[in-house]
Amino acid sequence: MIRSVDEYLRQLKKELAGSDPAVIQDAVSDAEEHLRIALAQAYKANPNISEADAIPPIIDKYGSAEEVAAAYRQMEQRLPPGLGRPASSARRSPIARFFGVFADPKAWGALLYMILALGTGIIYFTWVITGLSVSLGLLVLIVGLPLLILFLLSVRVIGFVEGRLVEALLGVRMPRRQRATDKSIGWWQRIKNLFRERNTWTTMAYSISQLPLGIVYFTVFVALIAGSLYFIATPITMLVFHAPPYVIVGDTEYRAVNWAIPLFVIGGVLLITAAMHLAKLVGRAHGGLAKFMLVSKKT
Amino acid sequence: MVDEIESADKKFQKELISGTSALVLLSVLNDANDAAEPMYGYQIAKLIHSQGEDIPMLKEGALYPVLRSLENSHLLVSRVEPSVSGPPRRYYRITDEGLKTLERWRKIWSQMTTFVDAIMKGESHDQER
Repeated sequence: MIRSVDEYLRQLKKELAGSDPAVIQDAVSDAEEHLRIALAQAYKANPNISEADAIPPIIDKYGSAEEVAAAYRQMEQRLPPGLGRPASSARRSPIARFFGVFADPKAWGALLYMILALGTGIIYFTWVITGLSVSLGLLVLIVGLPLLILFLLSVRVIGFVEGRLVEALLGVRMPRRQRATDKSIGWWQRIKNLFRERNTWTTMAYSISQLPLGIVYFTVFVALIAGSLYFIATPITMLVFHAPPYVIVGDTEYRAVNWAIPLFVIGGVLLITAAMHLAKLVGRAHGGLAKFMLVSKKT
Repeated sequence: MVDEIESADKKFQKELISGTSALVLLSVLNDANDAAEPMYGYQIAKLIHSQGEDIPMLKEGALYPVLRSLENSHLLVSRVEPSVSGPPRRYYRITDEGLKTLERWRKIWSQMTTFVDAIMKGESHDQER
């Protein structure tokens, strides 16, 4: 029998153990607010009542810690992942929509992903090419086959890890648990499935293509961001170096005239905003690719 | 056997409640919006509970996560205000997007009830013959 608000809150925390700390925090603060107000109301109605007597009917209406914890867990399952907030469809002017991209976590996530893609691309590519050539090369020996199987299993792990990264940064829902192994079939059948499943081979193709894609993403976005920052900073560089921006074509040096400097700044701001939009767009496309290549159609 | 029936009833009731609680909360906050008074969780829970006293599965505590998720989807906004007595209270207000959503959900709800009622009265069956 629960006799105090604190006791209920402790029990609620216990019931929610293992959930996201943010969810626990939400649940406990909601319950505390409600129960304390309800308790104050009960005291008002009957000043002589003790907390231990007042609490049970309040909790009966609020729901047991078990029921309330279940409600929060259920809600959490329905919520979209981190960045996946539904886009607000509020009517905004095209200009506000254009510059609003800086407040969009999806654009920032996508940009970060584009920069990271070079690193992950190098890792996946190296692993897959090495694994593939070593295990295929040794296939003539007896150790080749187990090595190949281990390698194929490791490709699955890459697919899962990349999926988590894609969900976190690109906001595309990806598997949150490793694939369950069907315990009812024998290990020989499981190995055969490993070779037969589309997912194994598409994940491998994805891992290999991540390197060229990563190089392109990284180069394009670093160049775009660096270029626009350079344009935006022209007034400062002019002050420091006492020279306007210039280009040299052949033997001729073209210097920017002074009145053009504000145009450089405006151009830089437009370019960096456009780059954010491009990141978001490419991020969405890449998320689609990842979902297609990494997620098994049948579970 | 009795336990089994009871738990099946409870499950059905629970599913209906969890399917409709978002609509119920939006409606309540829409009325509050018309009265130009944002409401806090306890008020909302009391109001809903007073209407559904004979529904034992309707738990006040289960409304809060729904409020949170509606806020997450930008259908509600909330702000915390200190109160004279007790802990600070979180006041909820419906957004323009919430109002539009409520309008659409009302239509869906009335479609749904008309459909279920019609099926239960057996009207569709009569037409078949």
